[in-house]
Amino acid sequence: MAGKILPVLKLATKVTIAGGALYVAYDSGLLGGSEQGSEVLGKAKAAIPPAVDEWGKYFGFELPAFPKIGFVPVEAWNSGVQSSISALSSGPTAVGDYTNQGLQYLKDLAK
Amino acid sequence: MSEKELGKKLDRCLADSAVKLGAGLGLGIVFSVVFFKRHTWPVAFGLGMGLGMAYTNCQNDLRAPYLIQRNIKEQ
Repeated sequence: MAGKILPVLKLATKVTIAGGALYVAYDSGLLGGSEQGSEVLGKAKAAIPPAVDEWGKYFGFELPAFPKIGFVPVEAWNSGVQSSISALSSGPTAVGDYTNQGLQYLKDLAK
Repeated sequence: MSEKELGKKLDRCLADSAVKLGAGLGLGIVFSVVFFKRHTWPVAFGLGMGLGMAYTNCQNDLRAPYLIQRNIKEQ
């Protein structure tokens, strides 16, 4: 009798855990539309530093401060594209110049 | 759709993709550990589901201006 209940109990526990995880994901809007998703991401980002601080205090060590990176890819993208394309367009000319300079140098050496 | 609006929509798409992939990964890990004896395929399945959900959301969001809405008169 008890031997038959245990597998059922195990299955019930597993179903509860998995169902609970699914319900938490659904409830916090992780599975909804675009706006909900970006909202959740914003909330998570805002909630990480206090959580990390609390964990640090609990365990008794301080994590080094996160270095503030002043480089934002979003704002640098346009200037990056411009500089790479202008470098590409002036590439052949530059290569020609360098080749001429190199040849001149060799000629001077050979004199 | 103006460029600003498109930029905002793409930002939302990216954020949503990150959230959905993370959720898919998490749920995949839970299901893999609980039901499927720590095989890898539930994790891959969860990631795939998350990616698919993110793609569909992005698609609907970007197609929204071109939907023809019907005026349903209140009766």
